[in-house]
Amino acid sequence: MSLTPKSVDFNEIWPNLRSTAEAVITLGNVNRSDWSTRFSDVYTLCVAHPEPYADRLYNETKQFLENHVQNMLATRVAPGPCSTSSVNGEPDLLQRYYDAWTEYSQGVKYLDNLYSYLNQQHIKKQKISDAEVVYGNLSSDTMEQMEIGELGLDIWHIYMIKNLSDDLVKHILEDIKADRCGSPEITPNRVKVINGVVHSFVQVRGYKRTGQLKLYQELVEFPLVMASADYYDNEAAKLLKTCTVSQYMEEVIKILEEETKRAKKFLHATSMWRLRKQCEDRFVNRRLDFIYSECKDMVSQEKRKDLRNMYKILKPIADNLKSQLIHTFLDHIKNEGLETISTLSGENIHIQFVENMLKVHQKFHELIADVFENDSLFLSALDKACASIINRRPGDRQPCRSAEYVAKYCDTLLKKSKTTEAEIDQKLTNNITIFKYIEDKDVYQKFYSRLLAKRLIHEQSQSMDAEEAMINRLKQACGYEFTNKLHRMFTDISLSVDLNNKFNNHLKQENIDLGINLSIKVLQAGAWPLGPTQVVIPFAVPQEFEKSIRMFEAFYHKSFNGRKLTWLHHMCHGELKLGYLKKTYIVTMQTYQMAMLLLFESCDSLTCKDIQSTLQLNSETFQKHLQSLLESKLLNASSESLEGNTKIELNFDYSNKRTKFKITSAMQKETQQEQIEHTISAVDEDRKLYLQAAIVRIMKSRKVLKHNALIQEILSQSRVSFTPSISMIKKCIESLIDKQYIERTPNSGDEYSYVA
Amino acid sequence: MKLTIKSWTGVATWRWIANDENCGICRMSFESTCPECSLPGDDCPLVWGVCSHCFHMHCIVKWLNLQTMNKQCPMCRQSWKFNIH
Ligand SMILES: [Zn+2]
Ligand SMILES: [Zn+2]
Ligand SMILES: [Zn+2]
Repeated sequence: MSLTPKSVDFNEIWPNLRSTAEAVITLGNVNRSDWSTRFSDVYTLCVAHPEPYADRLYNETKQFLENHVQNMLATRVAPGPCSTSSVNGEPDLLQRYYDAWTEYSQGVKYLDNLYSYLNQQHIKKQKISDAEVVYGNLSSDTMEQMEIGELGLDIWHIYMIKNLSDDLVKHILEDIKADRCGSPEITPNRVKVINGVVHSFVQVRGYKRTGQLKLYQELVEFPLVMASADYYDNEAAKLLKTCTVSQYMEEVIKILEEETKRAKKFLHATSMWRLRKQCEDRFVNRRLDFIYSECKDMVSQEKRKDLRNMYKILKPIADNLKSQLIHTFLDHIKNEGLETISTLSGENIHIQFVENMLKVHQKFHELIADVFENDSLFLSALDKACASIINRRPGDRQPCRSAEYVAKYCDTLLKKSKTTEAEIDQKLTNNITIFKYIEDKDVYQKFYSRLLAKRLIHEQSQSMDAEEAMINRLKQACGYEFTNKLHRMFTDISLSVDLNNKFNNHLKQENIDLGINLSIKVLQAGAWPLGPTQVVIPFAVPQEFEKSIRMFEAFYHKSFNGRKLTWLHHMCHGELKLGYLKKTYIVTMQTYQMAMLLLFESCDSLTCKDIQSTLQLNSETFQKHLQSLLESKLLNASSESLEGNTKIELNFDYSNKRTKFKITSAMQKETQQEQIEHTISAVDEDRKLYLQAAIVRIMKSRKVLKHNALIQEILSQSRVSFTPSISMIKKCIESLIDKQYIERTPNSGDEYSYVA
Repeated sequence: MKLTIKSWTGVATWRWIANDENCGICRMSFESTCPECSLPGDDCPLVWGVCSHCFHMHCIVKWLNLQTMNKQCPMCRQSWKFNIH
């Protein structure tokens, strides 16, 4: 073909081109040489000299396509004289439209290729650029030439779809309805036809820059969603008449699945969620009262299948609409939890408390995973329920005991026992789950540190590794501040081991034999919760071991400057060898008990008055310890009243099957109730100090603050370890006003200022 | 011997021997810590000057850092030297 522009006769070329175009658009046979000739004809016309025929070619082609589509409509698609639906196997309207569209849409694509030159060189060049569309001032009715493929689609829309859309959509809706009823007429082939017709409304707009879906949405989606809503409503009403809640939920899940599949089958992908929303609205949102009508029973009887179904259908709807299920579930956990801990009694109440609570927690945690897909709304309901059970006060005036129970539970595990290390470790880890719900973490800390102190001082720990691991768990949960005293206690014990080694080496070097196996624990005052008994009781140390104590003190002072040691004799103990009986016994006892017995080295009988004045003990301590020795039968008394001239004698008839044993110590007689009260009041003191320090700190930085703002600040600062009562905060503010740290501002009653 | 001590396990606490109750710099009791610390004892130790005055170590170090010219004891104005026994 020649590429030079030349003068040509349009009328000579066009009829040939037109008949090839006709063959192309009807998917007829076009041989290769014809295609090439026509292809260059398009070129020839576009570059014709002196006058190019591009515009004329465009207009003639447009005319040709319009005629072609109108002709298709009239002869192949439009309803014939008989009817629009399929009779006697004749193709119905949808099928005819589908067949015509399938042919035409393909043909237009080929035609677009044949007109490549026109498209590329003539039309694209005059096409408005994207920027012009966005910023431009072009009115939409500017007559714009389109590429031939686009033109073909536009013509299909104008001459085919506009004429038929009402009928087409009517049939589509009827067929979808028939499919819902399970009609056998909706065969896979029929589905393909409907899907093709539906998608033709999208494809015909496919060349547009925006709003490609608009035509489809107006013609199909909107009417279908409306019609479906009525259908769903009817179906829901029918189901309500015959179903139980349980059956209804199963049906709804089935329908939701089917409708989703149906949408995929017939519609454009974007319609699926709209249809589904409508379905959920009619079957779920508008029937919530019914769905919830048996909620309480389903939850309280833990009907997992029903609950799983209920969750499935409620999941997509708004959170506030699910709240009834969540609240019912929360109440159920609370009831079960309270029931399981309300009946506890006996010695092991702390173990039962933690283990029962853990069972409740584990059970519902598992249930939430199994039934509610670990939904965070349900997990937080579990948290709320557990927190409320664990922090509940049994009565207005009774304190909540959970912090104490959890601390004691740890104590039981950490004390020497036959439980394996792995099991202890697992139980302590689980225990943290319960610990985290405790609001009064400071109360827990007080109990824990007292029990830890006892374990460490009396060497009752099963393993130091387990002790340390537990402190680290607490540190992880509550931070360094919370555990630093615990760490310190722990360190003191290991420092003491070193110290004793050094002391023994020192004795060896100096060739000193104390005759006593000495082991000393030196604790840092302030880090250890040694309680009210920290007050030193006057005591004349028996000369039998006074020398040993002196040696140790001298050694200690040489190693540590500027430190003073205070002996806590009520916590010390030793082993005494009894050589005056038929057998030799080695008895473990407290220091005061030991001191009393040692007085009998040089005599066999003493009066109470003698013993007490020699040892310089106060009468309470004296009575308690002497009583414990009498109970052990190592001593006898001439009278029940242990005072004045009552005679105390060694019991020379004493005998015991065991030659090595321990006698009951006197101090453990502080009752449990007293211990708890001491701990609670110590916590109260700490809280007051904490609050006062916090108030001073806040006021120092803020200078002036309203009452409510101050309260809020304090609450947010103290949250980690406890929730103070407002009345306690008020008392602390008052006492700081008294101490003139802060004052009320003169112009306002509820405002404070810092006094520098 | 009727009675012999085989062994003795003693428990003692230690605290600082200070010649005053409170730190002259921060006014806090020596039983507790300097304002920056929370745990008394090894973590917030006391130190003595040759002049025999005693302070929280953290307090005196801070004080000495503020003195540009001659480092003096804040209590007696003698030049400060740590008393290392
Ligand atoms: Zn200080
Ligand atoms: Zn400090
Ligand atoms: Zn000084």
